[in-house]
Amino acid sequence: MAEYSRLARGSFTSTGAAQVINLPFVPDYVDFFNYSKANSAATSQNVISGKWQYPMAQGSAVIEGYNATPALIYDTVTSGGISTFSAGQMLQYGPVYKHNSVASADFSITAANPAVVTTATAHGLKSGDVVIFEGLYQTATTGMAQMDGIPFTVTVTSTTQFSVPWDASGSNYTAFNSATSTGNIGAWKQVLYPYLYFPGTTFISAITAPNGTTIPNGSIQIDTTDAHNFVPGQEVAFRIPSQWGSVELNSLPNIPTPGSPIYGYVDSVTDYNTVIVRTPFAAAFTAFNANQTIASIPGLSYPQIVAVGDVNTGGVQISSGSALYPPPYFVPIGTTRFNTINGPAIQGAFVNNTSQGFIIGAGAGTVLTTADMVGASGNIIYWRAILHDMGLPF
Amino acid sequence: MTITNTSNLGPMILQSLAPAMLYVPTPTMNYITVADKVAMPANGGTTCRFMRPRALTPPTVQLGNSGIDPPAQIPQRDIIDAQMAFFGTGCIINEQVILQDQEGVLAWVSERLAVAMRQAEDLILRDYIVSAASQINAGGGSNGFNPTNLGLTDFSLVATTLDTNNAYKFMSGIEGMDRFGTGPIRSAYFMLSSTELQSDFDALVGQGVLNNWNYPTNASALPSEWGSVYNLRILTSSEAPVARNAAMNNLGVFNDVYYNTVLGKQALTHISQDGYSMNLIYRDPYYSGMLAQNATLAVKFAQSQALTQDTAIRNLLSTRLSNLGV
Repeated sequence: MAEYSRLARGSFTSTGAAQVINLPFVPDYVDFFNYSKANSAATSQNVISGKWQYPMAQGSAVIEGYNATPALIYDTVTSGGISTFSAGQMLQYGPVYKHNSVASADFSITAANPAVVTTATAHGLKSGDVVIFEGLYQTATTGMAQMDGIPFTVTVTSTTQFSVPWDASGSNYTAFNSATSTGNIGAWKQVLYPYLYFPGTTFISAITAPNGTTIPNGSIQIDTTDAHNFVPGQEVAFRIPSQWGSVELNSLPNIPTPGSPIYGYVDSVTDYNTVIVRTPFAAAFTAFNANQTIASIPGLSYPQIVAVGDVNTGGVQISSGSALYPPPYFVPIGTTRFNTINGPAIQGAFVNNTSQGFIIGAGAGTVLTTADMVGASGNIIYWRAILHDMGLPF
Repeated sequence: MTITNTSNLGPMILQSLAPAMLYVPTPTMNYITVADKVAMPANGGTTCRFMRPRALTPPTVQLGNSGIDPPAQIPQRDIIDAQMAFFGTGCIINEQVILQDQEGVLAWVSERLAVAMRQAEDLILRDYIVSAASQINAGGGSNGFNPTNLGLTDFSLVATTLDTNNAYKFMSGIEGMDRFGTGPIRSAYFMLSSTELQSDFDALVGQGVLNNWNYPTNASALPSEWGSVYNLRILTSSEAPVARNAAMNNLGVFNDVYYNTVLGKQALTHISQDGYSMNLIYRDPYYSGMLAQNATLAVKFAQSQALTQDTAIRNLLSTRLSNLGV
């Protein structure tokens, strides 16, 4: 090793989706091999290894895999390959997909629960990514502009389709038409680093009253538009503008003790965007209403659930096989936890989740068109990442 | 006749370094300015814990003449935790640069590292606020976007919200004076805004908005203070958070979304650990390799942050009324 270079190696079990590797540096060289596929019979479209080096394009790679014969060949990946990242600042976005700009950026959205987005070409997203919509107007007075500006976690159902957790089935929503000739407008783009700090403020998509079973009496169920990253014991406040209903849940005003905010706390976490919250107002509150009118949109504020503290003691329940001092984690989709690079903290504490490293994507080759770079679920992948002392040219 | 000129007898040395370095454009750092400062002790663990007692219910029901005491109240408290994080950056400088460069490279690199560290502190607080503080979309403007551009009612609404939440104001008011063009200034919260919105503020001057040069005295105005409106004093910075092209109106036109942070005292707390808030580290080339060729200059710091009064802070989101200059 030269004096200032950085070398790292590791392995992971593939989930079949793009894999993020956090490092204390941004590498300029990455390679990997799929031990599971190397250790099995030669099969068409199996990728055995791949590599990327700066200044190759981000998301590209050179891979080695089996063709139809099957014979081992080299191939290139142009998207969904290997990329590096430095996630240090908020409010960064991916490319804008604007309806009516070019045919390849066209898309439609169903007026349904959940709303389903269909894109004209591959959207390039994976489940757990976050997007925002803008200007979803069918005409000046119709469309789905109620969803503008809200960060939504996507659940990918195909390369050209994903859903977002929002009830767009109300009477004030008009399905967003994909036809480029109708003159409707609108755009979407990916939020690149949505969880650099957590827990924080999250938009509410639904509030469900207690039913005595899945939602115990004294609690309510809160669904959010992207990952809440709460843990049991998280203390939360509500900020719900009056047109959305459920204003009784708001932290203030407090009638019996004026000035004192009223908080609830998280009883249990169902998944990335659903929590059960114990609150003194669970018995009676007006229904939540996501069916806002288009006319109300300029100036429309959104209902939010806000982390304000936690009632945890710092102790973490230890069970067989669990880490003794686990770091804080975030849950971008489902119930899968991703640890931060931090050391141990009290669960529910405000934490910094900035990070850097590289991603092995789930892209396919130019020749091996149905290959999956990151392998199938359960495959063991070994990787190596390097930041060199010297690069020529720089 | 042959004239000797610089073509046939040119100067031996063609360049001369101007006597002073040029300034480095640096944004004002407003977020660290308004944050409460707390230091965790050494050996104090990874997490800073804050405690805030809850108010007890005022006993407004009379005792009567029964002689029986009312039920006791249970004192409660809220707990806020924040985990410490460490940051740092540095430069590796070959001794030939130090030996041959004429303008004291170690001195100005040290200065740049120090400024980079201070700016990192501010940017971390800025992004944390974007993530953690609840939002109100401006609706008082007329540009048709959501959020709209800032209107007078937006300033009033957010100050009213903080007042209703019993937030503490930062600044006391300034009494009016008998001076042309000035007006009294109310006691105020701070609004941390973008320099890009100054033209929008200018458009509201005369409608209750005062530039700091129209204060009766601007002795208490901060260097980055643009002016005042209602119960807000506006600090601007070019590094204020902006979501570029994050709003679109019904004509398909994009606009940027600005996070105008309005806050009272103790809303935001910056946490350091045992004097670890600034370390400038110079390491002589002696410590690098067998030929001792490279010196290093680096900074590192520990920082955490928390919203310690969530009811005393709001992000007032807005778009822009006028076109952005370049």
